[in-house]
Amino acid sequence: MPHQCVRCNTFYDELSPELLKGCSCGGKLFFYIRKESLNKAKQMVTNLTEKEKGQIEQDVLDIVGQSPSDEPVVLDLESIKVVKPGKYEIDLVHLFKGDTVI
Amino acid sequence: MLDAINKFIQKVLKDLFRKKKHVKLGLYGPPNGGKTTLANRICQDWLGEDMGIVSSIPHETREIKIKEQISIKSGKKELSFNLVDTPGIATKIDYEDFVKHGLSVKKAKERAKEATKGVIDAIKWLDDMDAVIVVLDSTYDPYSQVNITIIGNLQARNIPVLIVANKVDLKKSDMKKIEAAFPQYEVVGISAKYGKNMDNFYDLLFKLVK
Repeated sequence: MPHQCVRCNTFYDELSPELLKGCSCGGKLFFYIRKESLNKAKQMVTNLTEKEKGQIEQDVLDIVGQSPSDEPVVLDLESIKVVKPGKYEIDLVHLFKGDTVI
Repeated sequence: MLDAINKFIQKVLKDLFRKKKHVKLGLYGPPNGGKTTLANRICQDWLGEDMGIVSSIPHETREIKIKEQISIKSGKKELSFNLVDTPGIATKIDYEDFVKHGLSVKKAKERAKEATKGVIDAIKWLDDMDAVIVVLDSTYDPYSQVNITIIGNLQARNIPVLIVANKVDLKKSDMKKIEAAFPQYEVVGISAKYGKNMDNFYDLLFKLVK
């Protein structure tokens, strides 16, 4: 399953070391994307401005309670989708099932 | 014989454990259903103080709030519980909705972020609840994805549920629609704001948390 760096859009596979130490661009937030949602997710991230990406990165870290210096964060888009800064779509079925957000 | 003794000891231990445990009573539901208004009403009725701030802007409660050791009485019966007020559960949170209520873009975005975190926290806390009161605005259609998902999950987890049809003081209120939507649970119509039908609510609370 691919993971996409929110900052530079680079895709990484499941076992990539970048998911543990962070992307080469310095980004530490990755979207976890299922194959069926790949095209949608690609479009979503590329449509965001640099400022929006930075804001989303900060917001997600706040939501999951992590500081930027901590380990990289992988956000499961099936549970919480950040469409734009301040716009969230929440999949309650996934969350109630106990699926983790990160 | 040994089996009977074993069962007896287990029952005594279970009863002992149950009596010591603090019952956690959760208030769940979509935003602006009146969870905090109800929490305030309960706290005012039995403690003489408020629990949280109420607002017409959705997602006013964005953090879990707990009021410990509330004791309510009905005749000779007494019930003690910890009341847990939770943030409203929603599928979509958009800062633009808060801007329409007069918030600045910056404050609206902050509120949206906190509200999203609130939804995650509320769901995480569900497993800790001994019983749940689902607070619904009786002027709204109860057949929403949020309501059905919350109540369906409570049922699947075997958590005792009481549904509150709030805002019955309003003309558009339709409690029967809520009863028809969730026939598996007891529904009580109240006005948390004006304290209407609270006696009936407390009676049902005793039944809920035996």
